[in-house]
Amino acid sequence: MTFAHRRYILLYMIDIGTGISVERNEVAAVEEAVRLAKTKKLDREKIDLALVFNSPDISASGVLKNISVFLPNVPVIGGTVSGFFSHLGICKRGVIVMLVTFPEGIYLTTGNMAGIAALGEVIAGEQMGEKLLYGFKSVPRSLSLLFFDELTQGNINFIYGLQEKLGKSFPAVGAALSSPGGNNNNSLYFNDTPLVDGCAGILFGGKISYGLGLRHGWKPLGKPHAITETAGNVIHKIDGQPAVQLYEEYLAYDFQRIKKEIKNLSELYPIGIRIPGQNEYLLRSILSIEEDGSLVCHGNIPAGSTTRLMISTKETCLEATREAANEAKANLNTRSLKFHKEKTSKLVIVFSSFSRALSLGKDIQTEWKIIADAFEPGTDIIGISTFGELAPLATTSYHGQTYFQNQILSILILEG
Amino acid sequence: MSDLQLLMNAVGILAIAGSVVLGILVFLKIKEAKQLQISVENLNHTLSEMDEQAKLVVRTDIELNKAQEELDKKITGLYALQTLSRAISSTLDESQIFGKIEPSLLINLGFEKAMALAWDDALRTFHVSMTVGFSDEDTAPIQSLLESDKEHFVDLILEDQSLSSISASLDQAFRRKICALLKVTSFVISPFLPKEGKKGLLFAGSDAPDTVINEGDAELIKILATQIGQTLENARLFEKTWQAHQELENRVEKRTKELSHALDEVKRLSQRKNDFVSNVSHELRTPLTSIKGYASILLSNKLGVIPEEAHKRLEKINKHSDELVQFVNELLDIARIESGRMALKIAPFNLKNIIDDVKDILLVQMAQKQITFTAVLPDNLPEVTADYNQIKRVFINLVNNAFKYTPSGGKITARVQNTDAGIQVDIVDTGCGIPEDDIDKLFTEFYRVDTPINQDVKGTGLGLAMVKHIVEAHKGKVSVKSKVGSGTTFSFTLPKSI
Repeated sequence: MTFAHRRYILLYMIDIGTGISVERNEVAAVEEAVRLAKTKKLDREKIDLALVFNSPDISASGVLKNISVFLPNVPVIGGTVSGFFSHLGICKRGVIVMLVTFPEGIYLTTGNMAGIAALGEVIAGEQMGEKLLYGFKSVPRSLSLLFFDELTQGNINFIYGLQEKLGKSFPAVGAALSSPGGNNNNSLYFNDTPLVDGCAGILFGGKISYGLGLRHGWKPLGKPHAITETAGNVIHKIDGQPAVQLYEEYLAYDFQRIKKEIKNLSELYPIGIRIPGQNEYLLRSILSIEEDGSLVCHGNIPAGSTTRLMISTKETCLEATREAANEAKANLNTRSLKFHKEKTSKLVIVFSSFSRALSLGKDIQTEWKIIADAFEPGTDIIGISTFGELAPLATTSYHGQTYFQNQILSILILEG
Repeated sequence: MSDLQLLMNAVGILAIAGSVVLGILVFLKIKEAKQLQISVENLNHTLSEMDEQAKLVVRTDIELNKAQEELDKKITGLYALQTLSRAISSTLDESQIFGKIEPSLLINLGFEKAMALAWDDALRTFHVSMTVGFSDEDTAPIQSLLESDKEHFVDLILEDQSLSSISASLDQAFRRKICALLKVTSFVISPFLPKEGKKGLLFAGSDAPDTVINEGDAELIKILATQIGQTLENARLFEKTWQAHQELENRVEKRTKELSHALDEVKRLSQRKNDFVSNVSHELRTPLTSIKGYASILLSNKLGVIPEEAHKRLEKINKHSDELVQFVNELLDIARIESGRMALKIAPFNLKNIIDDVKDILLVQMAQKQITFTAVLPDNLPEVTADYNQIKRVFINLVNNAFKYTPSGGKITARVQNTDAGIQVDIVDTGCGIPEDDIDKLFTEFYRVDTPINQDVKGTGLGLAMVKHIVEAHKGKVSVKSKVGSGTTFSFTLPKSI
């Protein structure tokens, strides 16, 4: 690489380096991942953002402590995740570090909130918005990227509060690292601090292009059923009957068995909500079943909805992966025209719902390969396994509405 | 009719017509509604049928997912078992065997926790050899359980039986006790049984609440335990073999050292003997030369004519002095060859020349004793590389030896052959032959076969010893074949000229 090319990239292109370490000791793992990431960057000193994720077998506090040692004064967002992958491959354990330096013309701010429920979701969202806006002034905003430790329907109100401050002209994309009430109490990091009931976010603006692709791959099965009684995220009755009957009828399991196995069953067979004017169904996985047969969903149910049982195969999931990648690229092409750059570089951030790993089994490798193959060789990709995602229902018809979704794959391309 | 009446009639007719049309329309609508209702009913029926089909699809999908999950689990388990077996078999160090059980492979077998317990038969107690997924604090109460229910577990070893949380024979209270103490929801305990040495139990457990083990999982752990037992046995055998080998090596080394010392001693003694012989021979040669000189002077009558009887005695002195000188010279030569002090004048030559020389030397004696001497040589005999004079001494010694022991009218043959190993010379006689017991000792210095013939044949016992030394100094070999009454063949080899 010539000096001129190097200078061009530093001035006009995003400079990215990704490093992975499978060392078990957190000091060695963080040191190696940071070192490898730096060796792939052109500018090893100026780093605008570090995305850091580690597997649960590595101590979160150890990672945080060492990240601040090896990357002093660098904004860090990350956490403990159930699985991660990059353009280098899928990793079940270890640490991944992606270091990014943005060129002139691209702006970003980072911010965080903790104790969202205690503060009130809307207020917390507004405060988060104010933090992200700090220093942005008149720069046009493009995208907000949000990481939560746990994601519940309450976080939609958080997004509402956030958008009250940031505006609704651009989408908010986010994901949770942990399942609510699950065994995987994964940590969320912001700089050198772990966040509980928190959110760490990034606001992008200026001459940055992005493309977002979203798909889940689940297909409706059987006839539509009317949700006749609902409250928040609990469906009491479907077709005037206890909601659990939907699963009893289709699965031919008794109540006790469904109650016991519902979490795994609904990963494979979630319910889909038809949203008027949208082709894609909004998926809801079931967290638990009440004694009266009500279904407690991972996300609110719009009143008066019709629902259908959803089913997927490995093929439909993998086809959804292809479509999401193509959609992200198509959206990027539409948006990136306006900056008329000769050369750009891309980084890809992927949120893949943990349910997909359950449904795909060993074919999760194929999903990773489809994503990796969708981009030019050498494109830096970072992907994490998530438990609930925030995104528009479809990228082509964004009307300022962010949905809390389950079981989707979100592919976000940042170009600059 | 008035206009009014006409109008009323017309209205009446229109009303009737309208009613008829309306009736027809209503009839048609009702018919259409009925058809629509039938269509709706048909559609609902079709939808219900499709919904029933959808239910079948879901149920089939569940079964397929389960089967796939089972298959994946089996494949993963078998792969993990193969990897574990290979890792375990890769070591023959007993202390490393359990260390090869990687937590990740154990998880692929369907378990997160494992513990190996070795049974000490002498102390009647279990020792923890390995743990995966247990803290140090966990192991103490587990050992207490093992102590309190020792017999249960020892029986598993004695009867080569596995126990799992799904075993039908397992007492439920005991199952709960194990689960509570080991902090698991399901478990498998299987014995590892090397033929000799410490036997024990392999425990594998899972604390995942949703995990239900099946017989396949229990079978995997059983196979793993069998593999551990086999590897422990291999390690023990290897250790035993290695120790035996080590002991043998030590003994060989010790014996080699002893032999080396003995050889050094023999060499030292041989050197002392050679030095002694050499010194004595030198010391003897001077007075012998004087004796022989004085005897010669006396025999020449230069100091006056000596009486006949004295003359005879002087001749005997002279003759014995010659023999003694020859004897001393041979001793000196052997000592020189042995000590490496004799410089060989190596050069290529044809053996035919030597045979001709020897023939000339001994021709008269042979004729007197009526012994036929024949030389058999191939036409294209290659030259040998050797010291001409020394090889000539070998020939003279061997032919002379044959001459001594071959009776009158006998036959001596010098046969030369070109072989792969070199040039082989055989001196064949039709003499009295040598007893079998003496053959091995023939080339020993001063050895003479104890036969009546030897009483009459003079010899020092050094000739064949010298032959051996000279041939071996030329990297050749000497051998002998003989049969009493039939004759003897002395053979030696010499290197061919390159």
